[in-house]
Amino acid sequence: MTEKANENWEPKIIAFVCNWCTYAGADLAGISRLQYPPNVRLIRLPCSGRVNPFYIVKALQEGVDGVLVSGCHPGECHYISGNMSARRKFALLKNFLSYVGIEPDRTIFTWVSASEGEKFAEVIKGVTEKVKALGPAQKLVKKL
Amino acid sequence: MENIEKQVQEHAKKLLAEGKADVIIGYEKGTLPSQTAPCFITDPDDAGRLVWNRFCSVNLAKYAHDIIFRHKESQQRTKPEERTKKVVGIVARGCTTRSLTIHLQEKQYDRDQIVIIGVPCTGFIANKKISIAVDGREVVECSVNGDSLSVKTKDGGKDIPLRDVLADNCLTCRFNNPIISDVMIGEAAPPMADAEREYEGIDEFENLPVEERWAYFTKEMGKCIRCYACRNACPSCYCKTCFVEQSQPKWVGAGIDETDTQVFQIMRMFHTAGRCVDCGACLEVCPMGVDLRKFLKKLDKDDFQLFENRAGESMDSLPSLSVYSEDDKEEFIFEP
Ligand code: SF4
Ligand code: SF4
Repeated sequence: MTEKANENWEPKIIAFVCNWCTYAGADLAGISRLQYPPNVRLIRLPCSGRVNPFYIVKALQEGVDGVLVSGCHPGECHYISGNMSARRKFALLKNFLSYVGIEPDRTIFTWVSASEGEKFAEVIKGVTEKVKALGPAQKLVKKL
Repeated sequence: MENIEKQVQEHAKKLLAEGKADVIIGYEKGTLPSQTAPCFITDPDDAGRLVWNRFCSVNLAKYAHDIIFRHKESQQRTKPEERTKKVVGIVARGCTTRSLTIHLQEKQYDRDQIVIIGVPCTGFIANKKISIAVDGREVVECSVNGDSLSVKTKDGGKDIPLRDVLADNCLTCRFNNPIISDVMIGEAAPPMADAEREYEGIDEFENLPVEERWAYFTKEMGKCIRCYACRNACPSCYCKTCFVEQSQPKWVGAGIDETDTQVFQIMRMFHTAGRCVDCGACLEVCPMGVDLRKFLKKLDKDDFQLFENRAGESMDSLPSLSVYSEDDKEEFIFEP
């Protein structure tokens, strides 16, 4: 992690987003020409329920500075309950990762619907700020 | 306890003789004085090998799953109408029956494939604690007399209060009597005294600064040699192909990189979230003495506090990640 001392360090953040709500929300933010930090790489999945907790842990191991997971609001899931099953997993996972000593702000979960382009931009801003405040990820990162 | 042992043997013998079970899984005398080994009895005349004492440590539910599953696999090329079912008899204490409950809830086999010989339990002795008490010297004789354990090593003997050598998970166990059983042996055991204090160590650890928690986690996981004994002993770890052995995708590297071990541990433990019955089998078999319980118990605590579930406590309460509720707490959701 040679980037550490660098003042111009910018965090790398991975976002796992669902196809039906958050990805569409990101699209809306785009076509509405909303500005938000370019630190986030989106990975589109069918549903937040499709996010294997392993993806999150693996992303951290591969060296991302933060992981965001976002899906439809509970009750609005395209697959009816995918996000509610996901919510349970994430609640336990977030607590567990923070318990073992990984900063809680490295893993962030939220809901953004297809009509919430503005919220999407706000989320990305918020997440980027939080992760920036933490600095580059050191823990669990595989050094090659 | 002798009485219980006798009855276990009698019931096992009867089940086998009457053809009600194909095999009985129980404990037998081990090769070391302070250990027992799992045993598999198929001949009624061998039932006398079964023992029941404070050294019966591992969770036998693991083997029930293994036997039934292997048998099913072996029948893949048998015509459907000729397939047979394995019926397994199992000597089970509280935590073992919780694991069996989880297997049943997760539809691993049918209820009529297991015959549960329920035994009351007052805790097993953790081998590591004996080792520590005798400074790692070889134990040549070991026996329980009432409330104390007398251990003989080459350099002399020692009496240790039983409380000091009981496994941690037993000291705070809430389910020392079987949850489900077909035959119940003996009287129900009194509840363990420290059940209310089960999360004490966890609360304390939660309040440590994040760096200290990380330091402890990495220190403990640094001891792990990735022998996977914990996984092999865990009744909730029954996947046909475990993620550590998958190569496409390759979830964790097989080398000695410390983050691979940390990721392995985080994920193995997370896979038992809502399903870990705190039986202590993983701790008992770990050759390196990794403090897995400190972390497993956190998942257990959250599971109870967030979802009011205790793994395998009854047939009706499903593992918490198999179900959901519309009103699940979501304070952790980020709102900008
Ligand atoms: S993780 Fe350990 S304590 Fe929990 S069920 Fe598996 S073997 Fe038992
Ligand atoms: S049994 Fe212990 S040393 Fe072996 S893999 Fe598990 S934690 Fe690591």
